[in-house]
Amino acid sequence: MTKKEAGRWTGIGRRDFLAGTAALAAGSAAFPAPAIAQAQRVARVWGEPGPYAGVFVQGMNEWAQKNAPGLRFEVETIPWDGVYVKLMTDLAARRPPALISVEHPIAFQLMAEGLLEPVDDVAQRVNAASRMVDGLKLEHYGNWKGTQFIMPAHHQGHLLLVQTDVIQELGLGDPNSWSWNELANAAKTVSEKKPGMAGITLALGRNLCTDYHFAALLHQAGGMTYDAQNKFEVAFDSPATVEALEFVKRLYAYMPKGAVEYSFLQVVDQHVTGKTAMSFYWGRTMGRAAEEAPAVFAKMEAFNHAKHPTTGRRSTWTDLQGWCIPKANNPYVKEVKEALVYVQNSVEWGVKYCHSLMPNVAPVYKDVAAAADMPSHPFFKTKPKSVETYFTGYVPNISSTANELLRGANPLAGICHGRSMWAQVVQRVLIENVAPAEAAKWGAKQFEEIRRENIRLVL
Amino acid sequence: MTPSFRLSDRQVGLLFMAPFIVTALVFMAYPVFEALRMAFFSYNPLRPDDIRFVGLRNFEFILNDRLFWDSFYQATIWTLVSIVFQTVLGVGLAMLLNQSLAGISIFRGLLLFPYIVPTVVIALNWRWIFNPEIGVVNYALKSAGLISENIYWLSTPDMAMASTILLNVWKYTPFVIICVLARLQTIPLELYDAAKVDGAGAWRRFLDITLPHLQEVLVVVVVFRTIWTFNKFEEIYLLTRGGPGTSTFNLAVYSFEQSTANLRLGVGAATGAVMMALLLLGSIVYIRVSGFGREEKAL
Repeated sequence: MTKKEAGRWTGIGRRDFLAGTAALAAGSAAFPAPAIAQAQRVARVWGEPGPYAGVFVQGMNEWAQKNAPGLRFEVETIPWDGVYVKLMTDLAARRPPALISVEHPIAFQLMAEGLLEPVDDVAQRVNAASRMVDGLKLEHYGNWKGTQFIMPAHHQGHLLLVQTDVIQELGLGDPNSWSWNELANAAKTVSEKKPGMAGITLALGRNLCTDYHFAALLHQAGGMTYDAQNKFEVAFDSPATVEALEFVKRLYAYMPKGAVEYSFLQVVDQHVTGKTAMSFYWGRTMGRAAEEAPAVFAKMEAFNHAKHPTTGRRSTWTDLQGWCIPKANNPYVKEVKEALVYVQNSVEWGVKYCHSLMPNVAPVYKDVAAAADMPSHPFFKTKPKSVETYFTGYVPNISSTANELLRGANPLAGICHGRSMWAQVVQRVLIENVAPAEAAKWGAKQFEEIRRENIRLVL
Repeated sequence: MTPSFRLSDRQVGLLFMAPFIVTALVFMAYPVFEALRMAFFSYNPLRPDDIRFVGLRNFEFILNDRLFWDSFYQATIWTLVSIVFQTVLGVGLAMLLNQSLAGISIFRGLLLFPYIVPTVVIALNWRWIFNPEIGVVNYALKSAGLISENIYWLSTPDMAMASTILLNVWKYTPFVIICVLARLQTIPLELYDAAKVDGAGAWRRFLDITLPHLQEVLVVVVVFRTIWTFNKFEEIYLLTRGGPGTSTFNLAVYSFEQSTANLRLGVGAATGAVMMALLLLGSIVYIRVSGFGREEKAL
């Protein structure tokens, strides 16, 4: 078959094909982007996994329908360990979301980097400072050098989740009265007397969850990573750090061996499947157990952490999570502020937000906490003590890596979490068998390097 | 009517190649150039407008970083062991599949399954499969009476490395099988018949007929598999995230961690540049040593 014949056979020659393609391309160029883009503007909102950010965005859309026709807020869920990747790609591409709800150490980093829009005006319009629940202050949520950059969303601390039937059966006493020794002994007794069940489970992998679990023990022992009241000098190489590391090592003997790779999900899995008598976790475990494992849920209670034998502290790593607005390349600042005011002034949306995943996200405003509808959630009947502890009972123990022992905001914590620094220290002790004192020294060196690299953020 | 101008065959050919050339330039050449350029700059992605030229400082950083060398060593182990297993298993299985048996084509198709399934799906499934408490592997081994205590597949450095290698071997051995099988089917059967007449046993026939014929294809397969395995990111990251500790870090995971967790995009790019140089050098040496293409040149 000749070339001409081939062309005739297919009905189209190579040159015809090229000419057709060129005409098509020219045609497309002549009629650019139809009116689709004008139909609706979409403002992206980042939230962590869970339904609550979605509920908040529903509230924002209620405002948009009434006041900004054509604008729609759309939630994007960012997994905890994926926040940095998302931040990096979207901010580097100069395409930030319109609004971010992210764990506060990262928000504090953005705040100190000067990447956020001040929200003093929003705070004033929702009267935030005077509405805060007892024990919390507006500035805890993100105030840098006198300017508020983050609006409160919720507070959530991890607590000691206990299967009370196991503890009672073994005669281990009231977890509320335990100190570190009783906690470790209880874990030991369970692991010895209950085959197939771990005494306790913490996340010990190289991840954020481990950072948060270890930080609670560090703060209970009276230790800190940086001293916010002394030019953010590194305070990690201390007897308290060594003590906390030794305690983790002691507890690890009664944990699943796989805990050194556990993150958030695995700890919840372990508890909900009845494979551990105790764990450190936020309210999410209780919500999931209620849905998937009623028998486990029935005997589950949340307690404040066991107190440190000498300091008496029961500190917990608490996420003081808020809403922050990227400043640059964000065309929706005005609308987002208006929508924030609308939703935050609505007690009804506040209650819906908390109810969306009980008892994981505690209310920040007194009127929301005291709302008539709040106790309508069934957990207030089935788990009143645990709900009370998650909502208010633990508040005196609030601490975090970004505001250690509530001594002041520390934007370096976000960078440290990006590198899972505390988890790396813990893993040195558990996996590489480094002595706790040596691991504390190594950690201090890493934290010092982060401080040196980012000193512009804090001084 | 005669057209005013007429493209030559050469021009038409070039026009047809243009989409590929443009795509390659935009999606391959430009990113490589940009990564090489970035290796000489300090760039925090949170502040995209604040880029500073730092000369060789990023390279200095990685060469002084113990984790870089640990990652390099682990990447070498992971690559070498994976390639050895993939090659040996791939050749063995391809020879089995080269038999003319009823239904063999269905079996050949099924063997491609691991290669077809997306890595994310495989890695996440394997995390469940390897779960020490609720995973099916431990359950099966226990049910068969082979173990009494759970094996912590991903919780100790050695086991985690072995598990990632196992995943890589399982997924990519089919690639070796396809390449080797294609070559096996072109070896003239007369050669085997003649060797049999001369009294050569199965092992002798494999060494003197099969292996020499497979040499060229194996060189190509080993080079490609080495490059792809050494660069592999998603399997390790999804399965172990480089842990426990940093025991399964390879250079790709190291580069990712430097870029995203540490926000040192320049250091990540410098790591990529070093990886590229290492692989280029390794491939050239290997191809030279293996004598790839020498036969054609001699002709």
